[in-house]
Amino acid sequence: MRRREFLLGSASVLGLTGCRQTPAPRPRAIVQVTRAAAYSQDLYDTMRRVLAAHRLNVRGRRVVLKPNLVEFEPGSVINTHPMLVHATLEAFRELGASVAIAEGPGHRRSTLDLADAAGYFQTIPGFEDIFTDLNLDELSPVRLPHPVSRLRSLYLPRTVLGSDLLVSMPKMKTHHWAGATLSMKNLFGIVPGGVYGWPKNVLHWAGIHQSIADLHSLFPKHFAIVDGIVGMDGNGPIQGRPKAVGVIVSGHDPVAVDATCCRIMQIEPSRIEYLTLAGGLEGIAEENIQQIGEKPNSVATRFELIMEMRGLRREKV
Amino acid sequence: MEIDRGALENIQAAENPDGGWPYRKGSSWTEPTVYALLAHQAGRTAAARSGAAAAWLCAAQQPDGGWTPCPLVAQSTWVTALVALLPPETIGAGRHARAVKWLVDQSGMESSLVFRLTSLLRDGKVPNGSDVSGWPWFPGTAAWVTPTCLGILALRKCYWRRPSTDLRERIDKAQAFLLSRRCADGGWNHGSARALGYDVGSYPETTGQALLALAGTPPAKLEASFRQAQRFLREQRSSAGAAWLRLGLLAHQQLPADAPLFTMPCRTVPDTALTVIASAAEQGYNVFLE
Repeated sequence: MRRREFLLGSASVLGLTGCRQTPAPRPRAIVQVTRAAAYSQDLYDTMRRVLAAHRLNVRGRRVVLKPNLVEFEPGSVINTHPMLVHATLEAFRELGASVAIAEGPGHRRSTLDLADAAGYFQTIPGFEDIFTDLNLDELSPVRLPHPVSRLRSLYLPRTVLGSDLLVSMPKMKTHHWAGATLSMKNLFGIVPGGVYGWPKNVLHWAGIHQSIADLHSLFPKHFAIVDGIVGMDGNGPIQGRPKAVGVIVSGHDPVAVDATCCRIMQIEPSRIEYLTLAGGLEGIAEENIQQIGEKPNSVATRFELIMEMRGLRREKV
Repeated sequence: MEIDRGALENIQAAENPDGGWPYRKGSSWTEPTVYALLAHQAGRTAAARSGAAAAWLCAAQQPDGGWTPCPLVAQSTWVTALVALLPPETIGAGRHARAVKWLVDQSGMESSLVFRLTSLLRDGKVPNGSDVSGWPWFPGTAAWVTPTCLGILALRKCYWRRPSTDLRERIDKAQAFLLSRRCADGGWNHGSARALGYDVGSYPETTGQALLALAGTPPAKLEASFRQAQRFLREQRSSAGAAWLRLGLLAHQQLPADAPLFTMPCRTVPDTALTVIASAAEQGYNVFLE
């Protein structure tokens, strides 16, 4: 039994034991909304402040930053901006962490060429030395302790399983199947294409929302940093339009972070199925999320939704 | 274009002690191992008959006749089509025949009777005609462009060695699948030409693969595809893309005389192998079509 399987097994045992006791009051998840007007040098200081606000203790720890790389479109808003990733990498290094970057795109096979086209080689010194293509990484089998989807187990990359902290760094985008793609949906990128293909169609057949919830259950406490400086609305995640919001949304609880992003995008989080599957209505309730930094309402920006997704609109802001 | 002997040496240097190849470094996987062998076959080197690589592949064959992506994985997948592209003598005729049988038995879930009936009852229509059938990446899921192209290439080699109506029909259905998934711009992406009513753009790699798998199709049916492939070839976004485009255009005698040389770095063993394979094809020896 490998470390991750052991930890997951232990966690489920602890979870069962916990059911017999009076549940402790749910601690409020802390989500920070930070203004960031542009992809500029200011981001380096901004990310230092973001990590300081969350009091992350990562000295001597292995941190894996997982951006969202989708398409070869330099200058577009499809991919997580390389400057935000570099600023985050520098901020974690200053806290004493050993930092790697890893991603496994869902459609395109030439991951390093895609990263090159997206500006990662140019922006991040020594990028190739610290990057792992998660589609082709060494693997370990992982059992899903309480699957919501039809999946019972997955092969997952050891770079992620062996990390002390996984940092999901998606772009704030609408998604034509899932409604919104944020820190939880970004975990599709850790499922190896080398096993499951391009696209990772097993996740679609098992249920997109259910698979997102299952992946979340394997990494419930990963850290999330959402690139909402310029997001994408309309027919996302590939063919939408740039949408300037000017924020970075961050926190330890991915469900709370993604629910906050939805409120900023004027999408009703309770209508995003994977959020309710993973967090329940409690996990996404405003009263259970302690907002620090900007109030979501003060930066709320109406993301246009395609016809099929208009039912997700949050009318009250 | 001359075969880059340095590239072949780089491939040889990347071989693991167990006889297989990694993608970049690390443990051996089926896909890079097959591409390395195909590159050596294209370069007509002695390593093409590497006993160690063949032994690694033979040991990795599953009881169902298929291959898994790497030894840790328990499920036979699309990589079986790649192994079936190798000359039968590489792994032995019996093993090769079992690989082909595994491949013939697989198809995308959308062409299964259960799925078609369910779709008919739910939506009042079925997604494809019964004369369309491709291959999935992973059993139990839908068919996509790359595994379908590799399946066609593997079965076509078998058909040339021993023609049969069954193989011909399967190849025809898979080629019909490819034509049904062509994007509006003439090329192919992973296999989704439209999403929720919107056209989706094509990719270089899959456009080249599809053209190669459609070798023999009347040129008039593929004019827009040739133009898109030639456009991609001028842009060069990845070495694998450039190699597949050259192979695809060569299969239809549509590679421009002034096609640019490879300009992108090879990042993986399959990337390097594909540039060798494409160069050999330009000299008249295409391991996918021999």
